[in-house]
Amino acid sequence: MEITRIEGEQRTPGNRHANERLRARGLVPAVIYGHGQPPETVALSRHDLELALSHTAHVVALRAGGRETQYLVKDVQYDHLHKTPIHVDLMRFDANERVQVKVPIELRGTPKGSQEGGTLVHILTDLEVECLVTQIPERLRVAVDHLGMNESVHVRDIALPAGVQTLHRADDIVAIVHPPRGTTAEELAPSEAAEGPAEPEVIAKGKEEKEGEEGGE
Amino acid sequence: MPTMPKRVKYRKAQKGRIRGNATRGNTVAFGDFGLQALEPGMVHARHIEAGRVAAAHFMQREGRIYIRIFPHKPVSRKPLETRMGKGKGEPEFWTAIVKPGTVMFEIGGVNEDVAKAAFLRIAHKMPVKTRFVTRRHGV
Repeated sequence: MEITRIEGEQRTPGNRHANERLRARGLVPAVIYGHGQPPETVALSRHDLELALSHTAHVVALRAGGRETQYLVKDVQYDHLHKTPIHVDLMRFDANERVQVKVPIELRGTPKGSQEGGTLVHILTDLEVECLVTQIPERLRVAVDHLGMNESVHVRDIALPAGVQTLHRADDIVAIVHPPRGTTAEELAPSEAAEGPAEPEVIAKGKEEKEGEEGGE
Repeated sequence: MPTMPKRVKYRKAQKGRIRGNATRGNTVAFGDFGLQALEPGMVHARHIEAGRVAAAHFMQREGRIYIRIFPHKPVSRKPLETRMGKGKGEPEFWTAIVKPGTVMFEIGGVNEDVAKAAFLRIAHKMPVKTRFVTRRHGV
């Protein structure tokens, strides 16, 4: 498991404007909580944080106030474009404690059904697992090359590393190969609704709609 | 096909203003890649249909296209050469209200290059500026 180092600094809890000033300086406000201790507020380097998140790091080593401590990334809030992190929740953890995290599922290979015209639909992209912090897998690889048309891979088919348990049901579908839904001509054809003046049905409330009288005075 | 609601409570709606950013529907939820609006706007049913057809034509039945917006809002127009007054015009078309951040289309089951090329064709049909986004994994 890769642990990314993030530079940070202590901050005093402030209002929205204080947080905006922090973000303008290239920092991201964050809170640290857990283990019954009072929460701490810190600010993280946005550059380091984005680097860590791009590697789907679950544990980060925060260097702030002259000491380095490891925390679990519990939640990340993004801006409205889902581009820039605007706030992070970090959780204290113990090395012997089991934690719940989401691990990305990576599909490997091209399904047989795809060669027959089917479409591989990846339904479950992240698997929620419970394990020790030191055992968090970086990603889970699932082979799909054996899948034919209408065949699927389930959570039970994923080989989890020792000590890792999933919180999903075994029957949950991870990926499925769907047969083609229609011909290209049907998909490309403009619908009848394009020409017709079809109007939606109005849920009647007793009062009849009166057509507008057009024309001059 | 240009879509519209099957049943509505009221035939006509007020114009309204588009304020703020998208707080819902701003993540890639179904496919692997998405087309995200960067500015507010009204995406008409015919824009959505034109985008769908352009992408379907390009992708040739490969992959899957998800349309995340729906034209819920009727827009009315007065006929030409009509004097003001005499009530609100008749509904002319249906539109979806899009805020910055809204993921309008998604594509799954194809590689990134194909998705980018398909979204470029959709983006040309859209009345708002857009950007290409990929699915972000949870923590």
